[in-house]
Amino acid sequence: MSELLIRHACVVDPVNRISGEIMDLAVRDGRIVESVSDRAEVIDAQGFLTMAGGIDSHTHICGTKVNFGRYMSPEDMRAGRTLKKGQMHSTSGYSVPTTYGNSYRYATMGYTAVLEGAMAPLEARHTHEEFMATPLQDTMANVLFDGNWPVMEAVRDRDVKRVAAIVAWVLTAVKGFAIKITNPGGTEAWGWGKNVTCIRDPVPYFEVTPAEIIETLIRANEILRLPHSVHLHCNNLGTPGNYSCTIGSMDVAPDLNKERQSLYVTHVQFHSYGGTSWKDINSKAHVVADAVNRKPHIVIDMGQMMFGKTTTMTADGPMEFNLYKLHHNKWSNHDVELETGSGIIPVYYSRKSIVNSVMWAIGLELALLIKNPEQCLLATDNPNGSPFVKYPEIIALLMSNPYRQAEIATLPPETESRISLPAIDRELDWNEIAMMTRAGQGRALGLRKLGRGHLGLGAIADIAIYPLSIGAIDPSKEYTRVIEALRLTRYTIKNGKVIARDGEILSNRNKTTIWVRPKIPEQHRMDHDPDFIRNFERYYTVRMSNYPVQEAYVPESTCIETEAVW
Amino acid sequence: MVRVILDVKPRKNPFLPVEAECLVPKNFVDEREPRDLSVWVGNKERRLEEVVTLTREGTATSPEDVELVLRGDTSRFKRVGEYMEAGRITIEGDIGMHCGNLMKGGMIVIHGNADSWLAREMVGGTVRCNGDAHHYCASGYRGEKRGMRGGEVEVMGNAGDFTAEYLTGGSVTIHGNSGDLTGVEMAGGTLIVHGDCSRVCANMTGGTGYVYGMVHHMIPTFRFRETAIIGPEKVKMSVFEGDIANRGKGTLFIKVYKYPL
Repeated sequence: MSELLIRHACVVDPVNRISGEIMDLAVRDGRIVESVSDRAEVIDAQGFLTMAGGIDSHTHICGTKVNFGRYMSPEDMRAGRTLKKGQMHSTSGYSVPTTYGNSYRYATMGYTAVLEGAMAPLEARHTHEEFMATPLQDTMANVLFDGNWPVMEAVRDRDVKRVAAIVAWVLTAVKGFAIKITNPGGTEAWGWGKNVTCIRDPVPYFEVTPAEIIETLIRANEILRLPHSVHLHCNNLGTPGNYSCTIGSMDVAPDLNKERQSLYVTHVQFHSYGGTSWKDINSKAHVVADAVNRKPHIVIDMGQMMFGKTTTMTADGPMEFNLYKLHHNKWSNHDVELETGSGIIPVYYSRKSIVNSVMWAIGLELALLIKNPEQCLLATDNPNGSPFVKYPEIIALLMSNPYRQAEIATLPPETESRISLPAIDRELDWNEIAMMTRAGQGRALGLRKLGRGHLGLGAIADIAIYPLSIGAIDPSKEYTRVIEALRLTRYTIKNGKVIARDGEILSNRNKTTIWVRPKIPEQHRMDHDPDFIRNFERYYTVRMSNYPVQEAYVPESTCIETEAVW
Repeated sequence: MVRVILDVKPRKNPFLPVEAECLVPKNFVDEREPRDLSVWVGNKERRLEEVVTLTREGTATSPEDVELVLRGDTSRFKRVGEYMEAGRITIEGDIGMHCGNLMKGGMIVIHGNADSWLAREMVGGTVRCNGDAHHYCASGYRGEKRGMRGGEVEVMGNAGDFTAEYLTGGSVTIHGNSGDLTGVEMAGGTLIVHGDCSRVCANMTGGTGYVYGMVHHMIPTFRFRETAIIGPEKVKMSVFEGDIANRGKGTLFIKVYKYPL
């Protein structure tokens, strides 16, 4: 039995309606409890800001394309090097650091759980191997279903239950967490050198539309009662005028779940552009935000872009090719048989560029115009919008209008007529920030009931204590202090154990990989489906029996079993 | 002026690399400072005095007045003159890899041969090598899209492959022959090769290249413009534009060339 008492913590926990109260937190065996004995280890939080451990609901830190980003950018590996020290491994890399680099940097920022945004099922082993080398965060992986052949065939036959059965088989086989759709149909069309322009375009050969793929998968998701909803990366990423496609995709989503959203739309900043070309690009964040405000069954994340160097990586192959044509730098393109694809290029977002300045403003506008912070989560689509180490700056921008105005003043003057950010004076408070960085994620991923994203009794003791007395400062004026404090926690506690103190890592290993196993009626399981087995053996280069990821790849794991409503 | 002579002590294993990025003039302005300097020899960190014998002649007030003289077997000393801003380094023998990395000013003179990556990604200053330079002389490091941006590099002997890769500014002169893919991906600056080389300036987008010797495996995607008489020696040269495969706007002057068979 291990006990811990955190004294004088200034707790911000919107789920339990605690807003900056000074209190003690008692922890026993990794859970928050009412009280502990006198023998408990004591930590004095000195009245500093204390929140649940951060959760990143969309990031790219592990897997084949992340690793490809590492080895195609040796120049990135030369940045951000740290030496081996005590228990810490040496790390390197800035936009795509080593797995330990990611884990340590997340830990020192108070993040204790992360969701890998896109895992190709065929390459799941690699993702799980890198999860094993990410020692301090609980990890989950979205599984890509955007161009899955059996799924598209079942969508064409309008057989939702078959889609659900295929999803159940794949999720169990690859130990994934949720359904991800990246540019539905588009990556498959890219195999023919084509793309889809929006949700009503048919996919070559399969003759299904992205709208049908999205809607069927949402219904299948609810049949399987998965903890998270469908996780959608819309068609047409990064194309001027794509906002109407984004809203169209949101309109497709039925409202099927009372406890959480029915559709999670990711990195919406990249999907809220107006105009007809790069020359007249403008922000349509207000239109998208309006749509989200009217649809409580939708949750989005910002996909905030920050100026500087980074690497973009996504399963959206055709989009990366378009980006490559703009930059003429290195480009990687990748096809995953029968399933999906990916593309990677390094980019530099410049303050001098009007397009980049508009992108920067759109992310912030979305967060400020969406009324319920639970519906707009903070993420940069790390590392696509910017590396996650910039989260503190984004939080400061959301909390301080003067900071935003000062930043706007450094942008090209032509930007101002294309964005609405200068006119927005909303400043978020700590409750809203906690909602956008942990509590909202807990709900969106369906983990709140399992004790994540809050500090109520019975919750998992993932706690971040930042060296900041929130009563004593005005975040609107003293935004530099906010940034500084959020960069480095005084203590990051995971499962009741201190894993980082003042930037120093104190733990070798403290993590679990969360995956789901949906239970469906025996006779519908794909292991017994002659069609599925025949096509699998005919088209895949892997035998069906060799496809599932073995238990050895997830030595520390938590399996969520769900009972499908058949 | 101060002259600091660093005489390398005999080493038990002379092949172990020495990470000597501390050997820049600004670290030797003050007489007391060298005491804090250390180098990594293989995987062991050593004080500088354990590796070299230091002799100081004269006094200095700023790095401009400092001359470092490296004597003895320095062929495994890496990163000498890294980020150097002013002053002078004279190397009496051979020098190891990465000499003059990212240097901004001052001068490095090497009397022997230089190993790979001489003056890579250099920004300013002068590097002169009286012997041969190995591969990647005056180039960008792995993955870097901008190599040398300014300054001058002169190699009196031959240079290896990928010389002046990603050259973006400044000038590189090779008096002997140069290796394969000399000036590949060049985007600016001037490259002069007095001897032979092969596949010169492939994929170039800008800048000017001169080859006074023979070009083997001339890249076919250069457009011939004219024949011109160049310099006081009145050398008749063919002028090319390219690399058109890369929509490049570079200019290439070549005396003799041969296309691949």
